[in-house]
Amino acid sequence: MILGDLLGTPVLDADGGRLGRVADVRFVLDGTPHQLMAEPRLLGLVVGPHSASSFMGYERNGLTRPRMIARILRWRHRGSFLVLWEDIAVVGNRSVRLRPGFTRYSTALDDHAQA
Amino acid sequence: MKRLLGVALGILTAIGGFVDIGDLVTNAVVGSRFGLSLVWVVAVGVVGICLFANMSGRVAAVSGRATFEVIRERLGARAGLANLAASFLINLMTVTAEIGGIALSLQLASSVDYLLWIPVAAVAVWLVIWRVRFSIMENVTGLLGLTLVIFAVAVFLLKPDWGALAGQLAPTVPQQETFWSYSYYAIALFGAAMTPYEVFFFSSGAVEEKWSVKDLAQSRINVLVGFPLGGLLSVSIAVCAAIVLLPAGVSVTSLSQVVLPVAEGAGKLGLAFVLVGMVAATFGAALETTLSSGYTLAQFFGWSWGKFRRPAQAARFHLSMIVCLLVGMAVLATGVDPVLVTEYSVVFSAIALPLTYLPILIVANDPQYMGEHVNGRVVNVLGMVFLVIILVASIAAIPLMIVTGAGS
Amino acid sequence: MTSASAPLPRAPKVGGRILDAQLHLMDRQVLDHDGVPVTTVDDLEVSGPALDVEIAPGSPAPVITALLTGSVLGTRIFGGRPPSSRLIRIPWKDVAEVGVVVRLGVKGEPLDASWVERWVRDKIIARIPGGSHDPR
Repeated sequence: MILGDLLGTPVLDADGGRLGRVADVRFVLDGTPHQLMAEPRLLGLVVGPHSASSFMGYERNGLTRPRMIARILRWRHRGSFLVLWEDIAVVGNRSVRLRPGFTRYSTALDDHAQA
Repeated sequence: MKRLLGVALGILTAIGGFVDIGDLVTNAVVGSRFGLSLVWVVAVGVVGICLFANMSGRVAAVSGRATFEVIRERLGARAGLANLAASFLINLMTVTAEIGGIALSLQLASSVDYLLWIPVAAVAVWLVIWRVRFSIMENVTGLLGLTLVIFAVAVFLLKPDWGALAGQLAPTVPQQETFWSYSYYAIALFGAAMTPYEVFFFSSGAVEEKWSVKDLAQSRINVLVGFPLGGLLSVSIAVCAAIVLLPAGVSVTSLSQVVLPVAEGAGKLGLAFVLVGMVAATFGAALETTLSSGYTLAQFFGWSWGKFRRPAQAARFHLSMIVCLLVGMAVLATGVDPVLVTEYSVVFSAIALPLTYLPILIVANDPQYMGEHVNGRVVNVLGMVFLVIILVASIAAIPLMIVTGAGS
Repeated sequence: MTSASAPLPRAPKVGGRILDAQLHLMDRQVLDHDGVPVTTVDDLEVSGPALDVEIAPGSPAPVITALLTGSVLGTRIFGGRPPSSRLIRIPWKDVAEVGVVVRLGVKGEPLDASWVERWVRDKIIARIPGGSHDPR
């Protein structure tokens, strides 16, 4: 699968209700180790309210300056959440469907607090 | 001592390299029509370019990433490509204008028709890009461009009525002009001072010359001293026009009118100086814009680039510049007036500016790129003020262009 | 959105470094072993899952198998999809480091991703006198 196809795809809950779109795909470097780097394993999807791909990362990486821009972009992406691979039921061409009772996690990276 | 010399050289090239065909033409046009009532815009533009160049130079020195790599990474492929298309086309327009400027300056010096000088100019630009070392290229054109100081000298030799001149400095619309054309030329002047290509070139130049964190102080001095003095130089072009052409009712439409006040004030010797200066300034800017075309393309697509590499090791980079020069030549061969191309290119520069400015402002705050060298508070406040100014200029430009019939 | 205002729980801790595809990989410059630019990360290839097939609970998660470049950039921007055989891949095992740029652990010269550069060099630039002149 090509990752670019997944970005921007609508995300639905188990009943077909719309949750947002795939804004980013989170990986963790703990797959099969190679000589140089471990394989990145798909950890989950970052689901955001906008079709435009997640903007500049302001909502996740704790950037706070310039304050005005940070505020505007965070506001634009309020309601973003992370859903883990285990909670994904089907990845399709037109939509991604989640399992019943999926959990919304914070999209924050590292130790950065989420706004 | 050697260090001091380096600093002096850096400042001098920044001054000499500041003025290009856009500044020459726009300042003279504005001086001849609006007197000194728009000088404040040059001041604003100079502060803006200092800020912008300082940020992009710092990003390049700390992270090793030039401006268009940053733009692609932050804006993504789609918005990045839209930005590339706009920036590249404006850049190509500026390449065309600068080559036309070289040819027109050579025509003034030799009275051989400028159309014949165009291929000569383009080939010379290519040869320098192909063969000459980056630092030599920068310093020689910058130092020769310093002869444009003659504009400032001419201001004194013309013995103007200083009191009346100072009276013109207030930002008011002259009687014979409308508010709309006043605003239009304000944006043109702003665009001429804050051209995106300068930033592409400046940040890529930092990579070419392998700047690191310890070169930051030097780069800051070059920018903060060199650019304002360069701005003063371009203001003196407007002052010359305001002294000689405004009272005579001549509004500038050609390069010969730009140099007229210098000839009047400083005679034949002055004329010789100004011609050398114009050829050097437009030639230097032609090099910078041609390289910027290559830089933007290569950085967007991730090609190998840089004059520090053999041409064969940056093949697509060099090929794209050859194509740009050919296109510029072809456009000029149609007989289009380079002065007109220049007038449009500075306004389009102002329109495209936010696209380049915003990603740099954001990345200059990103510790992943900058570590401890992120923007300070003062720079960020200024940065936001300028973001607003740049946005307003960009949004207002096209309606004003339509309302005023491009300033006519 | 049911709980828009309440802060969301943090994701369970994992053992490795986190990479967000869009934020940390896509559109970054790719440099080879010697620091020479090769391309940008135009897209990524992932080992799964199969499209429109119900994912069985407990299925192992897919992994990134390769960086993609070439015509995939055009289709990512303008839509459509190049045939799989036309994709230019840089296998993940050649990736040495992900930071502000993506560094490879191999030389860029022989890679498929460099064919256009090689072609322009051999057919055009190297044939112009001075094309191999070292500027320094």
